[in-house]
Formats: sequence, structure tokens, C-alpha cells
Amino acid sequence: MAQFVQALALGVLIGGIYALMASGLTLIFGVLRIVNIAQGAFLILVATFTWWLWRATGLDPILASVITAPLMFGLGWVLYRFVISRIRGQAASMSVLLTFGLALVIEGVLNIVTGNRFRSATPAYFEESFRLGDILLPKAQVYGFLAAVAVLGGLYLVLTRTWTGRAIRATSQNPSAAALVGIGATATAALAFALGSASAGVGGSILSVLYPFFPASHYDWISRLLGIVVLGGMGSLPGALCGALILGLAETLTATYGSLQWSTLVFYLVIMVVLLVRPQGLFGARLREDAA
Amino acid sequence: MNFLRRIPRQHLIAGIVLLLLVLYPVVNPWQPYPQGVMLIAFLLAIQASSWNIISGYAGYISLGHSMFLGLGSYTAAIIALHTGVNPLWVAPLGGVTAVVIAIVFGSVVLRTRGHAFVIITIALLLSAQIVATNWDGLTNGSDGITLELPFWSADFQNIPFYYAFLILLVLTVLFSAWIARTKFGTGLIAIREDEGKAASIGVNTTVFKILAYAASSFFIGAAGGVYAYYQTFLNPVGAFAILGSVLIVLSALLGGRGSLYGPVIGAFIVSLVNEAATVYGGSTQSRVLILGLILVAVVLFLPAGLLPTLQAAWRKRHPVETKYTDQTGALSHQTVAVVRERLPDAPVTPGPLLEVRGVSKRFGGLVAVDNADLTVERGSITALIGPNGSGKTTLFNLITGNMPVDSGTITFNGKRIEKLAPWTRGHLGLGRTFQVTRLFKDMTVLQNVVAPLPDGRLRTMFADAVSGHEAARARDLLGVVGLARFADQRAGELSYGQQKLVELAQVLMLSPELILLDEPAGGVNPSLLGRLTGVIRELNQAGVTFLVVEHNIPLVLDLCDPVHVFARGSCIASGPPQQIREDPVVLDAYLGDDWRPQDAHA
Repeated sequence: MAQFVQALALGVLIGGIYALMASGLTLIFGVLRIVNIAQGAFLILVATFTWWLWRATGLDPILASVITAPLMFGLGWVLYRFVISRIRGQAASMSVLLTFGLALVIEGVLNIVTGNRFRSATPAYFEESFRLGDILLPKAQVYGFLAAVAVLGGLYLVLTRTWTGRAIRATSQNPSAAALVGIGATATAALAFALGSASAGVGGSILSVLYPFFPASHYDWISRLLGIVVLGGMGSLPGALCGALILGLAETLTATYGSLQWSTLVFYLVIMVVLLVRPQGLFGARLREDAA
Repeated sequence: MNFLRRIPRQHLIAGIVLLLLVLYPVVNPWQPYPQGVMLIAFLLAIQASSWNIISGYAGYISLGHSMFLGLGSYTAAIIALHTGVNPLWVAPLGGVTAVVIAIVFGSVVLRTRGHAFVIITIALLLSAQIVATNWDGLTNGSDGITLELPFWSADFQNIPFYYAFLILLVLTVLFSAWIARTKFGTGLIAIREDEGKAASIGVNTTVFKILAYAASSFFIGAAGGVYAYYQTFLNPVGAFAILGSVLIVLSALLGGRGSLYGPVIGAFIVSLVNEAATVYGGSTQSRVLILGLILVAVVLFLPAGLLPTLQAAWRKRHPVETKYTDQTGALSHQTVAVVRERLPDAPVTPGPLLEVRGVSKRFGGLVAVDNADLTVERGSITALIGPNGSGKTTLFNLITGNMPVDSGTITFNGKRIEKLAPWTRGHLGLGRTFQVTRLFKDMTVLQNVVAPLPDGRLRTMFADAVSGHEAARARDLLGVVGLARFADQRAGELSYGQQKLVELAQVLMLSPELILLDEPAGGVNPSLLGRLTGVIRELNQAGVTFLVVEHNIPLVLDLCDPVHVFARGSCIASGPPQQIREDPVVLDAYLGDDWRPQDAHA
């Protein structure tokens, strides 16, 4: 029993962190209709940078997100304004290919600059745990979870309580109507892409402590994150939360009762089953397409 | 040499290049290095050309296509290991494995539109790697499988592999060319351009996409079997490398996605660049960066790809004159025969053809269609009028299946259809046009008209779309609407009114018993409108029933009988036009107080 509760607790912690990582992807898709294949590469880029910062200055990797998030916000904004916005109005598949290309460029640069080997940031609390009765909660996981929840909460507040957030949501629902009431489409899109990238900033810093990574790890990550988004329903933030929790639980439960190697497969299996029953994903809405 | 001139120039060039490639090992036999580079280029070309079927023709991008190469390799290697058969002879079974996997996963993911597919393709590739690594008993895990060396004398070097890959490449290109010629291929392009519209003209989009995915996997899987033997060793990381997928995508994109030879040309270029990067650029590290930069550059600056861009430039310099072939003869007596071809010969018997009973549709809090009833009599031209937002177009979408009903029944020709897929309703004889025309703008006018499928049979699906009966019929139908001379023009280049007529011809290809016209007169100039109403009357004479949504009231009162008036999601009045134009309820809800009956003829 304790083993089960332990697995559940770990699953929720990891799920929260996955939710943060997937939120950027789903935000970018919701507003821009772009599947950002480079989101995984963003995570690895940030993780590598965080690792370097931690080695050079001893700055706590999770705290480093205070630096990495704004940096990624800037990078996302620049990438959107100068690269991605150039293909607006073209077929959606072009954005997939473009962001795939960007992911490769980031991977290639990391390969050349940092070399092709595994890394992991190991601060002092790396191997310590909090004890709750029979349950052990690794400190790194807990700190990461708290940071993720704080950032997700902040993101939620920005989207619902500020003019900027309303502009982003308006654009995601109807870009041309939003433009008619004075919301600049390009500026809002750039902002959404920057916000999505910034969430990868925090996510990547957390990742550097929790998982060993190397430049080509981004394929694993993007595949997991995309799985979460498909499972939850493309573009739905609550869907991403739910999908992330399912992935977290599937992984920890499979690792506890089966073996770690198969945990990712179990998650993909869950996706397949969900898609069989609900092709649009758990929270995916089918909106009317006639009133364009 | 006269017959050579009649072969299109691109096929002629391809033939000459093929001849040179066939002769190359004979002319220059003792050069293992260039042969090795070439056969890897053939392998990449096989993959890019196959990828083009699902991602170029149908527009569904796969980022994990190298998985099929790995599946084929493992299939052939495992069979060879357990039975002792030479992997070369069981290589086609690699293709079979690839097809089975494509169909199984395609049927799960391809039922929806949009992005789930691209995502699953990456996930599948990584999953395949995980399975190959962990299923020790079958695959030998990460140690991999070692195969015997080729059975032929070392004197032949890799020449047998060279020819094996070349033959597979020729088969792949022929297969792709054949697909592009069929109605299946036209349907795939229709899906790429506008999937909802494709479904409404009888294209079973789900089956088409799954078949396209399967078709794009077979030759890669078969080539995988040969490749395993060529390498004599395979392991999970090498067999399911994502870099392989990158090369495929890049090749097809660079050469020209959706064109026949583009992916092959792209594969040769990418292979050479890749080889050069390996020799001069150092390790894999810099290769990823170089490939990534090229991919970004191609998407940004050469999105159509080399071949289509060059072809467009060539066409600009050498414009083809529009052939003015018909004009007289349009709207001739031939109309009836052409349209009725697939209809039963029975004379039109009166009675209801379409019955809508108690149908409702909600969008969140908005009730767009509220418990609506509507009957369309066989042989009539029935009108549906009403203010904007009264639910007319939504009702159309419910009848044709573009949206599911929330409740109520729809009966067509005595058969309940409200649960059927849009294409099945099309096969039953239900056709529609759209309020804003939705032609496939990058296809020619003729391709647009050939695309519809009047039934779901495989024979129809794989019928020739470029020549033969279907194309002839499409030309006839273009003649019916008087646009045959535009047959080879791109549909997007036509005027709006002409596009409306092409859309009508497209629907006629379904040989429909009932055609739903959504605002046929909107944006059409008066002279074209005259032609349009003429065609509608003529077709009606031939036994086609019409349901028309239209705001042009004089036209409605002139053309249609009976007229149904819709307001707030249901029918508030029905009757012959004379009665409707004086009905106080209708005047209040739609026409307004200042409508005077005599305006009808103004």
C-alpha cells in the first residue's frame, strides 16, 4: 500500500512539472496554431545553460529559472518576430517543418559547443528526501513541483486577469475579430510565443536537476510533451494539466510495478486508447468550422 | 524519333538519367566508393519518394518515417536469423510489416484532422527504438543482429545492391506516378487542400489517409530488408535513428513536396551534401547543425521546393495559350445524358426525397437549429430563405454531415442518414455547394471536377483520373456549365462566379439526386447568374432535385417552388412563392414592412 501511495505521490509531483513544460506548447498551439517541435530543444538548451551557470557560480539550478525565464522570453520573442512570423498564412505543416529545423539547429549548436555527453546538475539536496510517514519525497522533485505550480499559477493569472492575457485569449479564439477590436495580431502572437518559451525556461532549469540530459534528448522530451498535449486535446490548458498528470502517474506506476524502460510505452498506449474513444483528445473541443 | 517528342519533357529527362545510372557500374566497374554513395542516394530517394505520398500528396507530415526502414530491416534480419533464408529474398516481407504497422496506427490517429498525426509519428519512431532495445528475445536488444556476408563473390563488390536499390527506386517512382494519376491521388491532394470539402464530395478521408500512409511505407520497408543485408549489422539506435527521418523530410522538401521527381532530386542533393559533411565537416555533430540550417532556409526561402519553383519559372517564360475549344454546344442536349449517367432510369415519381424531422443543433448556449422540420419533394426546386443567423447553413451542414446533429432524424430516399459520414451521404446521391466557394485552388479546374467519388468502391477509387472515362465525363460536365476551355487552368485563377459554376460541375460528378446550393447567386454577376439559373432548370428537367438557400428574393420567387422560411432555427412558413410573399409572418420576420410584392419583378 505504502508503495502505491509513494508511486502516486511521485506521479503527481512529476505530473506537475510535466504540466509546466507542456503548458508552453499548448499555449503556443492555442494562439498561433503552431506545433512548436522546438519546445523540447528549448528545454535542453535551458538545462545546459543552467548546468553551466550552476557549475560556474554555484547558483541553485531551480532558482536559476529567475534568469532563464526572462532570457527565454527574449529568445522566443526574437525567434517569432524574425523567423517564425515569416511563414504566417502558409500551410500549418510548414510551421512543423520550420520548428523541427530550429530544433535541429539548437541540437547541432549544443553538440558543437558542449559536446555530446550526458549531464545533470547535482546541488546539495540532490539526493535528500522529505519523509512523510512511510513516504519519501525527493527534495529536488518537491522544489521542482513547487516552482512549476507557482509558474503555472502565475501564467493563469496573467491569462485571466491582465489586458495582455485577455488579448492572447481573444486572439486564440478569433484572430480576425481580435484584430478588429484593436489587438495587434503579430504583437500578441509574439507575446504568446515568448510566454510559451519562458515556461520552457523554468521547465528546463528544473529538468537539469531531475533528469540527465544530452543534446539529442530533446526528441524524447518533445515526444512526451506532444503526447501530453494530444492526450489532453490540442490547445487546451486544462487538458495539458490532465494529460501531464496521467503521464506522471503512468510513468511512476509502471516504474514501480513493471520496469522503467517500458514506462514511456505505457503512456503512448494510453494515448492510443484515448484517441480510439475520443479522437479529439480528452478536453479537445470541436468548434464550428463553417463560421470562419 | 517522333514519338519521343510526345513524351513530356520531364519523363524524357528522367528516362535518360535512369539509362545513365543503369550503365554506370558497367562503364565504371571498379569504383566502390562512388557506387556506395550512389546506392545510399537511391535508398534515400526511395524513402523521400514514398514519404511524398502521405506528406506531399495528402499533406500529413510524418517526422518519423525512417521507422519503416528499421521495421523492414528487423523483419528481414529476424526471419533470416531464425530460418537461415537469405535476407534479400524476404526483404518484401519487411514491406508487409511496414504496411501492417502503418494501417494499425494510422487507423487510430488518422481519424481526426490536424496535428495528432505528426506527433504520433515521432512517438512511434521512439517507441520502436524502445521496443527493439528491450525485447531481447526477438531483437537481441542493444547488442543488435549480425547477418552473413553477401553470398556473391567479392569481385562483384556492391554492384548487386546498387541494382537492387535502383530497381526499388524505379518501382517506387512508378507507384507514386500511378497513384498521382488515379482518383485516389486526386482525392489525396483534395484532402491536403481542404479536408472538409473533400469529405463532402464523396472522398472517404479516413480510408484515403490510412491507405496513403500504408502506401508510403511499403517500399521503405522492402528497402529496409535489403539495407540490413547491405550493412550486415543492425542495432536499435542505428535502425530507428531520427536523423534518417530528417534526411527524408529535407530531401522531399528541398526537391519539391507533392511533385513526382522533386523528392528524388532532393534525395540526390541531400545525399551528396550529407556525404560531403561527413568527409569534410567532421563528425555527426556538425551534420545536425548543417541539416537543421538547410531545413530552416528551405522552409523560409524555397517553400515550394526546387523542382516546382523551376517549373513555375519555366512556365512564366513559356506561357501556354488557353485553348478555346467549345462555347457553342455548351448547355446542349447532351446535358441530360451526361448528368443522368449513373442515375436509375426510373422516371421521377413524386414523393418526399429528403425529410428532416425534429432536428436540433446547439453551439454552447446558442441554439442554431431548433427542432426543425423540412421536406424536399422529389423533382422540386425547393427554396430555404430566412434572415442571417436563422440556421439555414447550419441545417445544410447537418444534412450533408459536415456536423453531427444533436437530436432528430434525417431521411434521404427512405434511408436514415443522420449518423452517416459525409462521404457516404455523397455516395447516396447528396451533393452540396458552399456559401463561399471551396474549390481546391492549386488543382486545375479539370482535377477539381474529376476529384469527387460517386461511390465507395475500390474500382472507382483507383480509376484513372487523367485520361479515360472519368476525365472525359469531367470535361463533359465542364461543358455543361460552359467552362470546358478553362479545364487546364488553376482553379484559383478563375473569377468568383466561374468558381461557383465549377463547384456545381464538381457536385454533378457525384450524379446526385439532390443538390444543396448555399447562396448560388452570392457574388455572381447578372449574366453568369442567367447561365446558372439556366443550368439549374435544365438539370431539374433531367430529374435532379434542388434545395436552395438564397437571399436574392426575386430569384427565389422566380426559380423555386415551394419556399420554406426559416427564422430562429426552425421553419415558420412554407408554401408556393405567391403565398410566401404575402404572408404577414414572413414579412415580419424576414422581408420587412417595406417589401412590396411588385418589387419581385423589379
